[in-house]
Amino acid sequence: MTLSPILEAEALGKHVAAATEELDILAGVSFSLAAGASLAIVGASGSGKSTLLSLLAGLDTPTRGTVKLAGESLGALDEDGRARLRGRAAGFVFQSFQLLPELTALENAMLPLELAGRHDAETVAGSWLDRVGLGNRKHHTPRTLSGGEQQRVALARAFAPGPQILFADEPTGSLDTHTGERIADLLFELNASTGTTLVLVTHDEKLAARCSARLRLAAGQVIEQVGV
Amino acid sequence: MRAVATLAWRQFLRGLRAGEHRTLIAALAVTIAALTAVGLFAGRVNGLLNSEANNLLAADAVVSADHPLPAHFAASARQRGLTLAHTQSFSSMAAAGDDAVLASVKALDGPYPLRGTLLLATAQGERAARAAPRPGEVWIDDRLAARLRLKVGDTLRLGTLQQRIGALIVREPDLALEFSGLQPRLIMNATDLPRSGLIGFGSRIRYRLLVAGDANAVTAWRGTTEARLDRGERLENVRESQPQVRRALERAETFLRLVTLLAATLAGTAVLLAARRYSTRQADAVALFVTLGATRARIRGLLFIELALIFVLAALLGGAVGWVTQEALSWLIRDSLPKALPAPTPLPWLAACALGLTLLAGVAGPTLMQLARTPPARVLRRELSAPPRLWLSLSATLIAACAVFYWVAGSAKLALLVAGGIAGALVVAGLLGWLLLKGMSRFARGFAARIALRQLARRSWLSAAQLGALAIGLLGLWLLTAVERDLLSAWEQRLPADAPNVFAFNIQPDQAQAFQTTIAADGVSGAVLQPMIRGRWQTHNGKPVEPKRYDDDRAKRLSEREFNLSWGEMLRADNRLTTGAPLADSGWSVEVGLAETLGIQVGDTLGFDVGGTPIAARVVNLRTVEWDSFRVNFFVVGTGPMFADAPTSLITSFHLPPGRDNAMAQWSRAYPNVTFIDVAQVLNEVRRVLGLSASVLRLVFVFCLAAGIVVLLAALETSAPERRREAAILRALGAHSRQIAAIQWWEGALIGATAGLVAGLAAAVTGWAVGTQVLGLTVAINWLLPLYSTAAGLALAALVTVWERRQLARSSALALIRDPG
Repeated sequence: MTLSPILEAEALGKHVAAATEELDILAGVSFSLAAGASLAIVGASGSGKSTLLSLLAGLDTPTRGTVKLAGESLGALDEDGRARLRGRAAGFVFQSFQLLPELTALENAMLPLELAGRHDAETVAGSWLDRVGLGNRKHHTPRTLSGGEQQRVALARAFAPGPQILFADEPTGSLDTHTGERIADLLFELNASTGTTLVLVTHDEKLAARCSARLRLAAGQVIEQVGV
Repeated sequence: MRAVATLAWRQFLRGLRAGEHRTLIAALAVTIAALTAVGLFAGRVNGLLNSEANNLLAADAVVSADHPLPAHFAASARQRGLTLAHTQSFSSMAAAGDDAVLASVKALDGPYPLRGTLLLATAQGERAARAAPRPGEVWIDDRLAARLRLKVGDTLRLGTLQQRIGALIVREPDLALEFSGLQPRLIMNATDLPRSGLIGFGSRIRYRLLVAGDANAVTAWRGTTEARLDRGERLENVRESQPQVRRALERAETFLRLVTLLAATLAGTAVLLAARRYSTRQADAVALFVTLGATRARIRGLLFIELALIFVLAALLGGAVGWVTQEALSWLIRDSLPKALPAPTPLPWLAACALGLTLLAGVAGPTLMQLARTPPARVLRRELSAPPRLWLSLSATLIAACAVFYWVAGSAKLALLVAGGIAGALVVAGLLGWLLLKGMSRFARGFAARIALRQLARRSWLSAAQLGALAIGLLGLWLLTAVERDLLSAWEQRLPADAPNVFAFNIQPDQAQAFQTTIAADGVSGAVLQPMIRGRWQTHNGKPVEPKRYDDDRAKRLSEREFNLSWGEMLRADNRLTTGAPLADSGWSVEVGLAETLGIQVGDTLGFDVGGTPIAARVVNLRTVEWDSFRVNFFVVGTGPMFADAPTSLITSFHLPPGRDNAMAQWSRAYPNVTFIDVAQVLNEVRRVLGLSASVLRLVFVFCLAAGIVVLLAALETSAPERRREAAILRALGAHSRQIAAIQWWEGALIGATAGLVAGLAAAVTGWAVGTQVLGLTVAINWLLPLYSTAAGLALAALVTVWERRQLARSSALALIRDPG
């Protein structure tokens, strides 16, 4: 049985106007990712990985090409439409965790559920914090949590609304090797158990190797495309 | 919508708990507290001053008419629980033996006076009257007693009546109301009137209804009465009948408005800075919300509700603090008050909330709306933020500032002068800052200075904002100081201890020398006799003057009444030309307020009937008059040749030293044709307004000063996170704390000194302009202020550097790089 694609990119590109010339920071990216698959976007710093991720998630708009996420063409949606689609279908994990410093772990995990108007936000977020092993730190603020713990909160926040696809930008990039490995284990474990599609930006080859598909970028161009 | 409201409420509570909203709530609360406290306190003091000034009316409010007053005025006063009294005033001959003198008669019924004191001298000594004389009895003043050669217990003829003199009038509270106050005075019981034969068809009588009681009830009664005034009826106003008191009250109000304006300026700056800080700290949250699926409309809704909640909390907190502060201020001046302040009303608090909201919407609104446009990609690249819409920010700030200024200032002139001072300071600060950066970047030597300049240049917008905020903060403080130090003192000096307290009219030219010798013998010195002649205004630009042509009541009355005219080509010392040229051969010089009321302009031709001779000339200039100087002054002044053949008399005002109270009675006997008016009561009233206003202003000044210092520190803190991060990086790279302190000192010193210099200059010029143009005071520009101000700017910078150095010493470089907070 062939699964229908959840994420498709067609001749995707982005250029920016520099002081004296137009600069292509991404060009000609095309692929199709099946639901439930995992894709690693790898490359050196400045290769365009984060730009590609922001275009795929609709956080930024391309100057060329199209993206189709969960069956909807992002180009046909305005910013609010893209936001609604993300709220419905996508979850996010960032390198710098992006937890709101004034909120507790529980409140951070509740945020996307609250935004979706869910009345069971506290219960669901609480059970996800239990699941990532932070049941006893729910009422701690990010300031009092270690880097690994903060990323666990971010994972709970990302999985809590039950997204179809999860975008992760260097999820282990701010962590030491050991903690990074544990967070990666947790990420893949949750991904497998929930059947979520995973799009992962990383420069960690070991992490990339755990994904079913791979896109390698250099200077904004795809130089290797495996499984997509 | 409900989900948004719930989330906003939760975010609000969370932000509150985490201290995230602290700065914005504090800035708004301080704004509302300052404006509430000043508004409430000023309103209460003003209420007291007005009610005290009403002592000169003998009541809280008075309605008068040239016909018996309709019963509804008294009925509505009774309904409101007010105390009432009726008076009838007219001129009549009083006689004794062969002597007869035209006296100003006042017939009373019921209690009198309702406010102030009617002091009588009887055989038993002095006593204050509470009601009309007994039927068959009259009270007369010294002048009448002297002219008719009568004493207490004698009788005089009044119409068909023989009345016994029960007492001599020492002081009357409502002399201010009597235009016929120049005539000797007589008070009688109204029940004697019908059989006196004094009142008949065509008698010119002024009927008055006096009311007094609860301030709110009086205000309400004035409102309904004003709406029901018919032809020939008017509400008396102490401001109108006593220009000296009016000027003093107006000046007190202007001072308070000025201080409130400066408080609002400081508060606006604080709100702007706090909103910027709030916006910076919320940008990450907004980017995350959009990433997690929130639409822009939802974000705006969230921010709007959250801000509304922040505002409500700040309004409640500010209202409470403002209320307590004004109570404390009232307590502090309790000993200098003649009676308790009227009760406060919530209106100033509501006005302060409205002002706070205008500031939040106008000054901070664009910054906060920019926050709603934060791009979601900020979650990946933290340096991304929504591009500022400069034109929107500037125009919204400008509109809000104009609205608040006009509202608080109450006069376009005051608003424009202060706004001009601020705008000027901002432009000069910008230019000077830019020149300093350019100039010093080229010539700066030394590691710390170079780094400091580079960092200031790199955050050019932030540096400019900080410089501007600091300049406005300092300008506000210096203006407050100028108000307290220079302007208030100038006002106080206007009423020296020897200010004139007696006016003498109708001195004949051939009596002049003898008169001066007589009063000099009683210790009076420096009395200048000036010519005065009565004239009826007849034509304006060749057309006859008709009262009905004027809408304004004051204009109507002025056009009916005789003017006291004078002449002299030299401008009097306390007069100042505003338009036109000095008088030469022929022409009128007109007081500017009168000209405004009657629509007179330079170049107009005015014709007066002086003793049957028409005198017409063009208006050559308009001038201001210091009515509250208590020196002799005239609305209209001509030149000597214009009055060559007219019969004139002389007038003067002088200070009668204390303890010479009998002198006036003696003079009256020696110069029976001369009229003496004791203005000590009015002088005391003006002194009271001045004294109370000065203590109030000094207190409010200290309060605003404290608020201003908070704003200054907030301004210096504007770039603190950036400076801390830079300091942390430098430290991580090996810079030792002395080097970092030197860099921060250079940065702070450049900003502090520039802002200080500019604020000092702007405050010196604006203070001088407000003093001379709005308050009508004689003040000089304080050129030392820029010097002090620059030093203060440097001192502030040093203070902040020391403080930040201590903060830095407590935190690790890594912690500061991660969260410079």
